[in-house]
Amino acid sequence: MEKSAKLGSASGGKDYHPMWKDLGLNLEAHDQLLNVLGQAYKDIYMSQENRPKGMQYFDFVISEAHGLRIEELMETKRKGNKVVGTFCVYVPEELILAVGGTCVGLCAGAEIGINEAEKVLPRNTCALIKSFMGFKLAGLCPYIQASDLVVGETTCDGKKKAYEILNDYKETYVMEIPQMKTERDRVLWRGEIVQFKEKIEQLTGRKITVENLRQGIKIANDKRRALQRLSGLRKATPPPISGLDALLVNQIAFYDDPLRFTKSVNDLCDEVEDRVKNGIGITKNGTPRMLVSGSPMAVPNWKVPYVIETSGAIVVAEESCVGERSTRDLVKEDGKTIDEMIDAITDRYMKIDCACFTPNVERTDHILELAKEFKADGVVHYSIQFCTPYTVEAHKVEKALQQKGILMLKIETDYGMEDMGQLKTRIEAFLEMIRK
Amino acid sequence: MDFAIFNRLQQLSEQNLLDIAQAKREGRKVIGFYCLYSPIEIAVAAGAIPVSLCGTRNDPIEAAEKVLPRNLCPLIKSSYGYAATDTCPYFRFSDLVVGETTCDGKKKMFELLAEFRPIHTLQLPQTQESDGALSFWYHEIKKFKERVEKETGVMITDERLSDAIQLTNQERKAKRALMDMAKRKPSPISGIELLTIMFKIGFFMNKRSGIALMNEVVDEIQKRADQGESPFHQKTPRILLTGVPVGLGSEKVVRLIEKAGASVVCFENCSGYRSVFMIDEKKEPLRAIAEKYLATPCSVMSPNPGRIELLTELIKEFSVDGVVDLTWQACHTYNIESFNIEKFVINQFGLPFLHLETDYSESDTEQLRVRIEAFLEMVKE
Repeated sequence: MEKSAKLGSASGGKDYHPMWKDLGLNLEAHDQLLNVLGQAYKDIYMSQENRPKGMQYFDFVISEAHGLRIEELMETKRKGNKVVGTFCVYVPEELILAVGGTCVGLCAGAEIGINEAEKVLPRNTCALIKSFMGFKLAGLCPYIQASDLVVGETTCDGKKKAYEILNDYKETYVMEIPQMKTERDRVLWRGEIVQFKEKIEQLTGRKITVENLRQGIKIANDKRRALQRLSGLRKATPPPISGLDALLVNQIAFYDDPLRFTKSVNDLCDEVEDRVKNGIGITKNGTPRMLVSGSPMAVPNWKVPYVIETSGAIVVAEESCVGERSTRDLVKEDGKTIDEMIDAITDRYMKIDCACFTPNVERTDHILELAKEFKADGVVHYSIQFCTPYTVEAHKVEKALQQKGILMLKIETDYGMEDMGQLKTRIEAFLEMIRK
Repeated sequence: MDFAIFNRLQQLSEQNLLDIAQAKREGRKVIGFYCLYSPIEIAVAAGAIPVSLCGTRNDPIEAAEKVLPRNLCPLIKSSYGYAATDTCPYFRFSDLVVGETTCDGKKKMFELLAEFRPIHTLQLPQTQESDGALSFWYHEIKKFKERVEKETGVMITDERLSDAIQLTNQERKAKRALMDMAKRKPSPISGIELLTIMFKIGFFMNKRSGIALMNEVVDEIQKRADQGESPFHQKTPRILLTGVPVGLGSEKVVRLIEKAGASVVCFENCSGYRSVFMIDEKKEPLRAIAEKYLATPCSVMSPNPGRIELLTELIKEFSVDGVVDLTWQACHTYNIESFNIEKFVINQFGLPFLHLETDYSESDTEQLRVRIEAFLEMVKE
């Protein structure tokens, strides 16, 4: 496999421009985007030393994120399968996998198409929301173009209302997420899942059966198990893999082919396991270990871990939807009827402890657990600017950590690079405090 | 406006605090409310005193920002700040405070507010359209009823609920009649006067005296209008204010609009017209309550067709010349919804539209004034 640092570059001489044109992308702007991202990837990822060889696969996937992977999606569509685009870990991909569909996370991690996005959204909307709108309006996300269905959810105010506008440009099916975790909420959410099942059956013209759903559950669980395995290896001292690389693997989980992805993660884990056995670390002993907690980081949002890891610390875990929150819980696999399986899916997704829930004490408990298990020396609480649920919840998290004597740094930032210097100063000062 | 009415209003407001203190001494419970989605009938039916809680002034915001993020809506920061600094007498009186999961900011703020008072948070569905929304909401209200029964020791029977509904419906009728005065051209009452009266009466523990006072004001204005008296003239631009709720302390935009020579004739918001939807007195009371409250067209609903319907009605009935959409800073739902509201107002009515995003402070007053004046130029054309 050729290693390529340039995203979507014509690896193997392949020119994807005709495909991108068919998808309705803005070719000129898209070329520019790939150049910028390719350079960023080179600077941030390829400059790391001592990376596991198994990361080459993920480098390749990134380099072909807009190329080969899209070609694969078009190929599966030609065979009559459907592609479903999502923004959030609440959308149960088991149901999509069951009918041979592909679930992909949509572009939302870069400051792209801001001018277009701000024509329809307020400036002080969270960067992730502006990003997905910008990607769509500027014609730069091949995933949304390739999607047969886009699924939104009423997680937060910003997304909920932005989907009403996105719907004018791409039909958006919205799932209602409960805001508490009582028995009635479970009933509401189960109803939403049943409706989504019908929607998927209608979209694909295929019936969800006990057999294919069992298969869907298995594929999604296997992916989570592989990611759990990778996460577990990072508990070692010294940690065997960088936070940046582990984050990348978690990010790629959202759009790679799940079977191939799972195998590649397990291959990577075999290698990383050897490192742990032999006491080989990615950094030297005594490097401060950081737990990053809060808002999700979608590709190519690597800003905060990059600053942390170039300031002399290492990220050992992500308490985030791109991280622990989406991999921690499995769907029970012993369901014998569709009803039992839907129950199991409902229960699994109800466990996700996003800050959009109230009172969401589970999240604080999980942060304390993770800090302990991963021997974190400090917690960096990361919120995307204007993300109200996380910025408000940060206060409770900080109090709980204080009681355990764990230091927390509260960061609120967007996708821009203007505050890189300031972030670095703050993180360095935080690390100074930790070392004392 | 007759000075005597405002003097009475002031006296009654002061008396109101003493009355609540006295009622509390006599063992009555006080239940505090923030939001139009919370059904006060439950408190009334239990013989408890429903009070509106403070959240419209800038003063306590600085204190709130020690705990809450700065870029949060001023209404939420003010509400929390009042509680944290113990400067809202109604909050102090409250034995139970009712929260709701309307928006992200409030939902998460109530978690922190629980440090000061017992909170009962109602979970509001995020859409009115799904099959399950009404039954979900009905059960939330039922749970709230059970909580209030526990707090007060009073069984809330259907009969008690029906009586409570009759009373609050009368209040809504009186408030609506008062607001409808501004349908006359020119309006015999200014937006600021209207807002002041409704805001102050909103704190009255004695609903009947509030109703009586509103009826009196209506008679007085009627008289004045019949004699052709008005603070405005035939050509004064008539503005509809839509968006977030406004009260004393957060009325700067209303003031600026009227100072610039226009008349705010209608409030399409939770402190205004959305608060006078009637409860069906013929239906099973709890279900009727659930239906009425769920229909409130706040931007937290997705989609929110009720706001478009209400705007359509009000723009016509109040002979509106221009629409100002007010959003509190960092209130994402109103801020984002403004895009579609603007499209609607321009496409359906061809009216000038101005979206303002501001907070409770005075820091942007000059800038707002300039924008409002420029907007009114367009309205006059």
